[in-house]
Amino acid sequence: MIPESLRHELQQRVAQAVTPREAAVDVLKELQAHYGWLSDEAVVEAAAILGLTPLQVEELATFYEMIYRRPVGRTVVHVCDSISCWAMGGETLLSQLEQRLGIMAGGTTADGALTLLPCSCLGNCGDGPALMVSEQLHGPVTLDSALKILGRF
Amino acid sequence: MPKLIIDNIAVEVPDGTSVLEAALSVGITIPHFCWHPALGKAGACRVCAVKILEGPVKGIQMSCMLPAQDGMVVSTGDGEAVALRKSVIEWLMINHPHDCPVCDEGGECQLQDFTIAGGHGIRRYDGKKRTHVNQYLGELIEHEMNRCIQCYRCARFYQEYAGGTDFGVLGRADMVYFGRQCDGPLESPFSGNLVDICPTGVFTDRTARFRARYWDYDMAPSLCPHCSLGCNTIPAARYRELLKVMARRNDAVNGWFICDRGRFGNAAVNAPRRPRQPLVDRQPVGWDQALDTLLGRLSEFLELHGPGSLAIVGSPRMSLEGNIMAARLRDLLGAGTICYFGSSKQSEPALEAANSLTPDTAASQADVRSADLIAIVGCDLLEQAPMMALAVRQAWRNGARIYAVDCDQTTSLYAGEVAPALSALPFSEAKQPVIIYGTDHKQPDSSDDAVRSGTKLAFILNGPNDFGCALLAREQGAVPLADALAGGKIKGLLSFEADLTTELPDAVRVLAACDWQPTQLMQRAEVALPATAWIEMEGTFVNNEGRAQRFRQVMPPGLPIRGLGPDGHPPREFRKTAPGSDILPGWRLIADIIERLEGERVDVPLSGRWQKLQGINAEDAGESVL
Amino acid sequence: MEAVLFGHNRPDRAVTFDEYCAEGGFAALRRALAELSPAEVQQAVIDSGMRGRGGAGFPTGKKWSFVPRNLPGPRYLICNCDEMEPGTYKDRILLEKNPYLLVEGMALASYALGVQHAFVFIRRGYEQAARNLRRSVAEALSAGLLGDRILGSGFSLELDLHQSAGRYICGEETALMNALEGKRANPRAKPPFPAIKGLWGQPTVVNNVETLANIPAIISQGPAWWKGQGATPEAAGTKLFCVSGHVRQPHCMELPLGTSLGEIIDGPCRGMRPGSVFKACIPGGASTPYFTGEHWQVAMDFDPVAKAGSRLGTGGIVVFDQNTCMVAATLNLIRFFARESCGWCTPCREGLPFVRHTLEKIENGYGAADDIEILREHVHQLNYAFCALAPGAMGPLEGLLRLFEDELREHISARTCPFKTR
Ligand SMILES: Cc1cc2nc3c(=O)[nH]c(=O)nc-3n(C[C@H](O)[C@H](O)[C@H](O)COP(=O)(O)O)c2cc1C
Ligand code: SF4
Ligand code: SF4
Repeated sequence: MIPESLRHELQQRVAQAVTPREAAVDVLKELQAHYGWLSDEAVVEAAAILGLTPLQVEELATFYEMIYRRPVGRTVVHVCDSISCWAMGGETLLSQLEQRLGIMAGGTTADGALTLLPCSCLGNCGDGPALMVSEQLHGPVTLDSALKILGRF
Repeated sequence: MPKLIIDNIAVEVPDGTSVLEAALSVGITIPHFCWHPALGKAGACRVCAVKILEGPVKGIQMSCMLPAQDGMVVSTGDGEAVALRKSVIEWLMINHPHDCPVCDEGGECQLQDFTIAGGHGIRRYDGKKRTHVNQYLGELIEHEMNRCIQCYRCARFYQEYAGGTDFGVLGRADMVYFGRQCDGPLESPFSGNLVDICPTGVFTDRTARFRARYWDYDMAPSLCPHCSLGCNTIPAARYRELLKVMARRNDAVNGWFICDRGRFGNAAVNAPRRPRQPLVDRQPVGWDQALDTLLGRLSEFLELHGPGSLAIVGSPRMSLEGNIMAARLRDLLGAGTICYFGSSKQSEPALEAANSLTPDTAASQADVRSADLIAIVGCDLLEQAPMMALAVRQAWRNGARIYAVDCDQTTSLYAGEVAPALSALPFSEAKQPVIIYGTDHKQPDSSDDAVRSGTKLAFILNGPNDFGCALLAREQGAVPLADALAGGKIKGLLSFEADLTTELPDAVRVLAACDWQPTQLMQRAEVALPATAWIEMEGTFVNNEGRAQRFRQVMPPGLPIRGLGPDGHPPREFRKTAPGSDILPGWRLIADIIERLEGERVDVPLSGRWQKLQGINAEDAGESVL
Repeated sequence: MEAVLFGHNRPDRAVTFDEYCAEGGFAALRRALAELSPAEVQQAVIDSGMRGRGGAGFPTGKKWSFVPRNLPGPRYLICNCDEMEPGTYKDRILLEKNPYLLVEGMALASYALGVQHAFVFIRRGYEQAARNLRRSVAEALSAGLLGDRILGSGFSLELDLHQSAGRYICGEETALMNALEGKRANPRAKPPFPAIKGLWGQPTVVNNVETLANIPAIISQGPAWWKGQGATPEAAGTKLFCVSGHVRQPHCMELPLGTSLGEIIDGPCRGMRPGSVFKACIPGGASTPYFTGEHWQVAMDFDPVAKAGSRLGTGGIVVFDQNTCMVAATLNLIRFFARESCGWCTPCREGLPFVRHTLEKIENGYGAADDIEILREHVHQLNYAFCALAPGAMGPLEGLLRLFEDELREHISARTCPFKTR
């Protein structure tokens, strides 16, 4: 259950939109921010706020890269795997991170702290290889600087 | 009216026709998956490629997306177009499982046909196939997602055409998934159309699972008997068992679809309790004995009580032919009463429709689909005539305004405003207004007349032949059965496929009843005569708009080979005919009785004023009786 | 050249509202509202020769002129800041440095188009850019430069920000409109074109961030001046080039449109990084065919780049050195496109995974000569996809087949990637 204040805020957001659907992605993101991921419960809540059915919400949720329909760690580490970062050693960085964190790409550390997700171009191409941690862009990173950012050094 | 040339054939088509449709109009089928006549174009599958040799655009084009234009020269067999179609098929077959032998769609699969047509035969992709987890979608529809070729027809039909909100498209890229948010029965009352509309075997009719192949089916054009709209169907049967029902196209009536009641609501045909043998005083007898007994008891009855106390009871469930014969039987016997309806609640809307509709005012489902203002009066459409609700939705999608008078229209199919009275509606602003009267509407008030000029009307009635029965009732001075019984004069009934709506007094004898369903009247009958169901015979129903339509015999009558007993085997007797196959259509039985009573032998019930209905072709749009 | 877009930039932070205004910011809007009719603003954009900076290079003034003025209901302007094409980050830098240019540009464009409600569609992950924009919109609102009756004129504009949840296809203008409307972001069929039937079925113009950010200069300095900022007589205006890869100093820079590839790499990027020799580059974002050393002198302008067999695209230049396996690079690009396919049409949804699989085989030493034929077929057949994503994805593959066929064949004959064993 989301707090009444958040529900109210989201209802306001929906009311201001040209159509309720226009606010759909905002609502999904806010619910995701609240739960850490978009849980089944969150899908149902989003549907109620938006005046949609859970299926209609799911159609959107499963389209987007940054909506998680599976639980993730408290921090999600996005490692760019697109061409500029690839050229600058992004693949190596990802496999080193996998090794050091002891998880495969897509996995979450046993303590539930970190999820490692390869992702499409972060728009940080001039500073590759790049990461995005908690919505913050980093780059160019090395294994060491990446671990430092993650507080795992 | 653009003129163009397709594969050396000159074609002229109305403005806005696509090249694909133009080609179809001269018998050239360009392979297509996502395009569907009722859903239109999507441009998704890319298999309908043609080459435009001359005209405003040139080169490879998707024929579904391209409006036919003057001066176009189109080649469907051009090498480049053929190569692209072959590529598309190759792409689709990358992940399609080669499970045709165990797939219920096999033999009626567009993907099979177009894969062969596309000329793709040798697999070049040697990677793994993508797989999906299937969902439980209820007892009626089987889901096998691996077979999906992502034409998006199902989602477009379910959401856009039919207004469903619990089924759609999930995921993206090469992982799109067509299903629900979680397992569970599909909620739309039109969900069964997914079976027809999916070009491959993702959705198959679960009730007919693993029962037969397309080439095994007994099939014929038929009609749906579940409401008054007369939607067109193709039932498929095998070994005297009805397996499934599919929608049949009739542009004037149901278009391409039917509702789930029409598709899945036909278990009665195969029901073990169905009457299969004549009974006298509940004891099985042969046909001759049954009819002799009937004749004997009938003459005793007439002698004792006089013909005035006899009622002949027809029914809106029975074919027009049967009801016409009921009238002849009445004439022959001089019976005091003939009934076509159970109650005045049933007969009144039908009589009102018969009295008020004219060829100019009768609204077909097609008229409703193209209306720009629709008033629904006293009707729960989705309950009383589901496909009419779907027709209203199409009008609404095209911008029609929908009003509800004397009823509530809360449905996800369309948004209607509640209006106090018809006279409050802006009919004069509308170009193609339609009023739909439900069976619960109050008698039209006098202000309706003003409203009605130029407005088409649709009456929602109760049964598949209400309209035909209303015409006969008018002609014969029929009274509803309940009223006749209440009069107290009736002492005996001869009933044909009729249903009781009131208590039948013990003193009234059911001398005979004839039906294919185990009704109350059949149980009360002294002589109970089984008849064929509509799919076991040929006949005519007149739908709510006064359109007479022919249904043809789909399968022979008789006990299904699959057997009905607990051991699943038909009787172990050896005879030349199938057990239970000696039953007749209701009208034939009446004709027999008439003949035994030394009346005139009748082979063609549709004579006299009905003659013009004789020649109806079941595959045509039907014939108006107005 | 004078800087048109980066003139107000501060080295390590965004320019402030006051600084921007003090340096002549919003003068163009003031002037337009006081002196110019909407038609005159549009004419200036036509005269400037501005071609859209979002990738396709469509003349901006011409696009605006397609919008019918007599249809009832609202018209919309959308700024496309989806910028998910790998190798492209210019719009982010622009907004991180100076969001006011975009706000002013959108106000001018809206005035010219009769738009009262405009949207910025911004990709996920551009949080700083989004914060800047939000702040600048608020500042402009309180200064009377947005909102009701701007600067006392009859022109009002509401400017909203819409943050995506991340998909490359959302940058395709019709998919973007679906995304903004809260629908699945599949592209729409054209026709009808957005200028006639766009957002919520109303006439809509979609322009790139950089395109719109140039409008203030076109109005304040005049179209002739603006046009003159190019490197050649044909090249109109400046261009943001964002360079990445194996150069010494990859960054986003403003240069005259038509500056040659060699000048960009050797000049502001200060050449290749130590130990690296130029082998090839992607000239304009992930969907453009490669350039090699033979293209060093090509003027980086729409037509010259097209004539040289590629596309100027977004101006995102990704530079590869001698140790880069072009098969692996192409495989990386195809993986991106296959993942980002919206899943609507067959060629893209199924064809890209087929290409990916084939390239994977070749790269891993399991390729056969026939596979090259398969790749070639796809380069041709994916042109017939529903939108430009799949044809774009074939850009680098076409380049690979045309320029690096030997490298492909070497993979096949050596049964391994030669760069792994070298
Ligand atoms: C797959 C795809 C992705 C695109 N992504 C972007 C984008 O991120 N930003 C952008 O401005 N244009 C993008 N475009 C181009 C837009 O469709 C559109 O042409 C552009 O926004 C128009 O702006 P302009 O006229 O100012 O160039 C993309 C096109 C395609 C086919
Ligand atoms: S399930 Fe059938 S109808 Fe739906 S997209 Fe797949 S193939 Fe088409
Ligand atoms: S090419 Fe087709 S599948 Fe690919 S993004 Fe465009 S519409 Fe979607």
